[in-house]
Amino acid sequence: MKSTNENEFVTLVQKHQNLIHKICSLYTKSDAEHKDLFQEITIQLWKAYPKFRGDSKFSTWMYRVGLNTAITLYRKSKRRIQSQNIDDFSYKIPQTEAYDDTEDQQLQLIYEAIKELNDIEKALIFLYLENKNYKEISETIGISEVNARVKMNRVKKKLKKQLNP
Amino acid sequence: MKELERLKKDWNKHQNFPELSKEEIYKFLHKKSSSIVKWIFIISLLEFGFWLLIALATKNNEAQQRFDTYNVDHIMIPLMVIGYVILIYFFVIFYKNYKEISNSDSTKSLMQKILNTRKTVKHYVIFNLVFLFVSSIVGAAIEFSNNPDLKLTILKFENTNDLYIFYAIVIGITLISIVVLSAILLGFYYLVYGILLKRLKQNYKELEAIEVE
Repeated sequence: MKSTNENEFVTLVQKHQNLIHKICSLYTKSDAEHKDLFQEITIQLWKAYPKFRGDSKFSTWMYRVGLNTAITLYRKSKRRIQSQNIDDFSYKIPQTEAYDDTEDQQLQLIYEAIKELNDIEKALIFLYLENKNYKEISETIGISEVNARVKMNRVKKKLKKQLNP
Repeated sequence: MKELERLKKDWNKHQNFPELSKEEIYKFLHKKSSSIVKWIFIISLLEFGFWLLIALATKNNEAQQRFDTYNVDHIMIPLMVIGYVILIYFFVIFYKNYKEISNSDSTKSLMQKILNTRKTVKHYVIFNLVFLFVSSIVGAAIEFSNNPDLKLTILKFENTNDLYIFYAIVIGITLISIVVLSAILLGFYYLVYGILLKRLKQNYKELEAIEVE
């Protein structure tokens, strides 16, 4: 039986599920991993839900838990992916489809370049793309605002170099 | 960087992820987590259990029974009390650190807290190795001054003026045993935590580097 709390939580996750998908597609390389990470993020969100006080936005709180799971907590488990029954939900991850328009080839290239960055750099770029300001980025990652800014500029330069070698 | 700005502008437009139903999300809540925190907690408990088992296993063996006849309680009891007090101390600190781990902390703080729980268990293992070393020396000293068979052997070596050979053998065997045990344990840690914490350590270093630069 589902409790009111569970219902409330599931409704919120369903509403903001794109955010989790975006993290998953950045941090994984296959459909199976994507599904596995999505599941782990949901479990971690559920575990942390009693502490969510609602004084911050649910989506803001999701960024933290989602990125923490992708960067720190998640362990790839091939056995788990194979053994569990996940056929009941199948979707196509638009890792390559997202920007496959010929005129958007450049965007596809930069998306692929971002996926090649290290975990921390990816998190910075992801939050930037999500339109977070440096204060929010620094609070989520746990570094100073100035350092977040400096690092972001470096990552941008790195990406530029990768795209125009 | 204009490409990134374009991507940012179109970021949400292109993300066409198939939507999961409430039922599908609900199913996830009841799946098992594969979080590294869970694994670190389980492995740490096994480590605490391992040393406790060693302590219990050596409690009723032949050597222990022989020790009881030597009337050395004034040495053995304080040693045992120190061992258990320190075990409890480490366990309390470990549990406190573990409880403080929160997945809604900042990334850096979360990593720090995970590494802290690990550090506590690492210190506990180091303490146990040192304690094992000290206990071996104390135990050997007690045996030398109380065991009649050993006394006889020492006397034999003394008569042939080879006492230094005897001590060299005893010290050698003790040292080799400790080195072998330490190597096995360190190898085990290297293997288990090397795999488990490799990524976390790399990312933590990266974050620290950002702060130093």
